[in-house]
Amino acid sequence: MSLKRITKELNDLGRDPPTSCSAGPVGDDVYHWQASIMGPPDSPYAGGVFFLSIHFPTDYPFKPPKIAFTTKIYHPNINANGNICLDILKDQWSPALTISKVLLSICSLLTDANPDDPLVPEIAHIYKTDRAKYEAQAREWTKKYAV
Amino acid sequence: MEIDGNTLLIIIIILFLFFSTPGGDGVSSQYEFNQLQSFKSQLNTEYESFEQMSYNSGFRNITGFKLSFNDVKDDPQRNATYPIPSKDYDRWFQNQDYLILPEDVTTRVKNEVWSPNMNKPEENVFPPNITSSLLGRIQLISNNKHPRIPMPVPRFYESPTEFSDVTPPEGETYFKDWPAHSELHNVTFDTGELTIQLTHVDKVPSQLGSQKKKFFNSQTDRWKFLNLRISLSDKSEHERHSLYTNAIYDVRRGRILAMTESAKFHSLFAFPHYMNLQNDNDNDDEDTFDSLKKAVKEYWDKSNFVKTLTMGDLQSWYDESILKCEYMVFLQLSPWNQYTRDQIKMIDDELNWPLGRPANLSHLPPVTVSKGILYSPDCGVELEFHDAKGERYGLKIRSIRTHLLFGIGLFIAQIYLLLCQMHHTNTPSSVNKISVYCFSMINLVDGSLATIYFFSASILPELYLPLVTSAFACFILASVFETRYLISVYASQLNERNVGISTLLRGGHSTNEDTDTATAVVPDESSISGSLYARFFFMLVSFTLLSMSARWWPRKVRMMFEYSAIIVLNSYWLPQIFRNAIKGTLPRRNRLRNQRMNEAMGVRRQNKMPLLWKFVLGTTFIRTLPVVYVFTYSSNVFRHHRNVRFVVVLCLWLLFQIAVLYSQDILGSRWFLPKLSIPEGYSYHKAMPAQDLLEHGSTAGYTIDCAICMSEVPIRVEEVPETHKVDEQTYMVTPCAHIFHTQCLENWMSYKLQCPVCRSPLPPL
Repeated sequence: MSLKRITKELNDLGRDPPTSCSAGPVGDDVYHWQASIMGPPDSPYAGGVFFLSIHFPTDYPFKPPKIAFTTKIYHPNINANGNICLDILKDQWSPALTISKVLLSICSLLTDANPDDPLVPEIAHIYKTDRAKYEAQAREWTKKYAV
Repeated sequence: MEIDGNTLLIIIIILFLFFSTPGGDGVSSQYEFNQLQSFKSQLNTEYESFEQMSYNSGFRNITGFKLSFNDVKDDPQRNATYPIPSKDYDRWFQNQDYLILPEDVTTRVKNEVWSPNMNKPEENVFPPNITSSLLGRIQLISNNKHPRIPMPVPRFYESPTEFSDVTPPEGETYFKDWPAHSELHNVTFDTGELTIQLTHVDKVPSQLGSQKKKFFNSQTDRWKFLNLRISLSDKSEHERHSLYTNAIYDVRRGRILAMTESAKFHSLFAFPHYMNLQNDNDNDDEDTFDSLKKAVKEYWDKSNFVKTLTMGDLQSWYDESILKCEYMVFLQLSPWNQYTRDQIKMIDDELNWPLGRPANLSHLPPVTVSKGILYSPDCGVELEFHDAKGERYGLKIRSIRTHLLFGIGLFIAQIYLLLCQMHHTNTPSSVNKISVYCFSMINLVDGSLATIYFFSASILPELYLPLVTSAFACFILASVFETRYLISVYASQLNERNVGISTLLRGGHSTNEDTDTATAVVPDESSISGSLYARFFFMLVSFTLLSMSARWWPRKVRMMFEYSAIIVLNSYWLPQIFRNAIKGTLPRRNRLRNQRMNEAMGVRRQNKMPLLWKFVLGTTFIRTLPVVYVFTYSSNVFRHHRNVRFVVVLCLWLLFQIAVLYSQDILGSRWFLPKLSIPEGYSYHKAMPAQDLLEHGSTAGYTIDCAICMSEVPIRVEEVPETHKVDEQTYMVTPCAHIFHTQCLENWMSYKLQCPVCRSPLPPL
C-alpha cells in the first residue's frame, strides 16, 4: 500500500512539479527521499536553496513522513538539527496530504513564521521584538549555508 | 525558582503566624493567665488535702465530693461549701452518709458487679492488656429516683465579660437550668446500644509541649490506668451520649472503676476510696487504699499534672462540666481462667512482636465485661449492662491487615482486567462504543476508596503501611488506568455532544444537519483531560465527604443512604447497555459471518462487543465480593450488621444487568427496541447521484480519486446502469460526501475518526 502510494506521488511530482520545490528518492530506497526548497523571494531566505531529508514510515500515508532540514537555517520553528515544528507533520496529519503539499506548507512557514509556537524560543523572541535583527541574521545564515 | 516580592511577603506572613501563636500553655491575655493560675492553685489545694487523706478519713475540700448523698437527701437545696458545719471529716465509711452514691447502688456494686467471688486474686486470672472496643446492650434502671447532688462550677472558668477584664470572677455557679444543647438531660431510652473503647495509659508526657513520655506506674501488676470512651445511643440513634473517662483497672480482681473528670468533678482524688467498695472487709481495704493512693501520686508527679495544665485543658474541663453529666462507672471483667499467667504473657508478647510463639491467637477469647453499672451523681441517672464483648485491639489490627492484603490482591486483579479491556478496544471506533458513565461510576467508587484509605492511614498509625499500600494500589487503578481510559472514551465521543438520541441511534449525522457540529475539528485528548480530571476530583471529594458525614446520621437515614448508594453504584453495566443499544451491534452469528467475509477481503474490521466478557465478569466479581462479605459474614471486621436479603437483591440486580449484556451479545444490541423505533443508521456504502459525482470532479468513467491511496475508485451511480456492477461495499461515502476505498478509510478510522480531506468528524463504524 505505502509503496504504491509513494510511487504515485513520485510520478505526480514528475508530471506536475511545484514551482519552488523538488523532491525525489535517494538511491534505490523509495522510502528515503531528498527534497529542496528555494527560499521564497519575499523572505530573508531569498536566494538560498535548502535541502531536506524525507523518511516515509511503512504505514504511510496513515502516519506522517519524517521531514528534516539538512541545510542550516535561522528560523523560529526550525532547530539546529533541522527538525520542523509543523502541526501537519504531527497530530494534524491527514492521509490526504501529499509530499508536495507538505513542501508548500514548509515554504509558507519560511515566509510566515509562527513565533507563538516556537521550537527555538530565542529566535522567536528576536522575531517578535526586533524584526530587523531577525531578518539580518536569517539573511546572513542563508548567505553562509544555503547559497 | 525566582521569588518575587509578593511571594516573599506571603512567606514572611506565614512564618510570623507560625511563630507568634501563643506558647505551650495557650495563654494569650492577662485574664487567661489569672484563670490558669486560679485553676492550678485550686488543684494544688485539693492535692494537698488528698495527700493527707487516709482510708478512714473523708473527703475534704475536693470538688464534686464535698457533699455526700445523705446531705442532699435531707436538704436538696444544700450548697457545696467547705467545711460543712456538723460534718465529721475524720471518719469515713462505705455508706451514703459518706459516699455520693445512694445505698442501693452501692449494694448492687458490692453484690452484683464486684461480687465477692471475684475477690480472690489467687484464683482468677485476668488479662493485663485489655485495649479493645466492646459492644453491648445497655438498660436504663432509673432516671429520676435519686436526688441529684449539686455540683458547682467555680466562676473563674467563665470567659471575660468585657475585653478589659483582668481578674476572673470569684465564687461558684450552680447550673440549675442546663443549656439546651448540652447532654445533661436524662437518658430517656429504656434499652440502647453501648460501645466502650478501652485504651491503656502506660506513659505520660512529663513536660509541656514535649513528645517524650515516661512510664509512671511502679505497680503494674496491681493497677493499670485506662482511658474509657463510652457511648450510649438508642436503637435508632436519635439520642446519643458519650463519656470520656479516666479509669483504673484492678488487674488482680478484674475490676474497673471509671469516672469522668471536669470542672465540677475532680474524680482523680476519689479513686482510692471508691475502688474499695466490697463486702468482706478483711484488712485488705487499707492496703488497697494505700497502694492505689501511691499509684495516683506517681501519676500526678510523673506527669507534672499542675505544671502541664494549659488553657486548652481549662476550656475542655469547663465545657465538659456544663455540657455533660458526670458518671461513675463500675465494671467487672470476666476472668480468662483457661490460661495461666505465663500463657497470657506469651500471648501479649506475640501480639506485640509476632515471632510465631505457640499462642494460638485465633482462639483468643474476647475481652468481656460481665456486668457494669453507670451512675451519674449529678443527674441521678442509673444504667446497667451485662456481657459487653470485644476483640483485643491487637487481634483486630491483625485481621484488618489480612483483609487489606486481600483487598490489594483485588485491586491488582482489577488493574489486570482493565489492561485487557484497554487492549481489546485499541481503536477510536471501538472505544467509541464504551459508555463514559459506566466507567465514571467504577472510577468514582475506586477513587473514593483511595481517599478513605488515605484518611484512615493518618488516623490509624498501627495500620499505616498496609493502608498506604492499599491506598496507593487503589489510586493507581483509579487515577492512572481508569481515568486514562475514561479520557480516551470521552475524547472519542466528543462529536456526539449536543446531539439527540435519535440522531445517535441513526449513527452520527443526518444529511441536513446543522453544519456547526459537522465541521468542528475534533480537539486533542490533552485539552480534554484537564477538564475531565477537574470534574473527577470534584465528584470524588464531594462523594467522599458525603459518605463520611453519613456515618453520623441517624441509623435509619444512614441505612437508607447506604443501601441506595450501593444499589446505584452497582448499576455500572446499565449505562453500557444503553450505549450498546445506541451504537447497535449485530447479533453474534452475523458478526462472525461478516468477520469471515472481511478476512477473505483482507479488511481489518472492528465489529465486536465493546466490553470483554472476562472484564465484565471479573469486575462484577471483584466489586461484589467485599459487599457480600460485609453483609453476610456476621463477625466481619467492620462490625457491619448482617443483611442477607439485601445481598441477594444486589446480586440478582447485577445478574440481571449481565444477562441483558449477554443477550445483546447473542441477539444484537437492539433486540429489545421495537424495529420501527430504530431509525436507519448512517451507511457508508451507498450509490451516488450523477450530479453529486460531477461536483466532486469525477471523470468520464464515473470514478473518483481516493485521497488516501491516490488511485481510482469506481462508483455505482444511480442513473448509469453500466456502473451497477460495482459493489457498494468497495467504497465508502462520508457524511461530508467524500469518497474513499473501504479498505483505505477503515484503515484510517482506526487512527482517527476524522475525514482526511475536510477534517470533519466521522461517525464510527
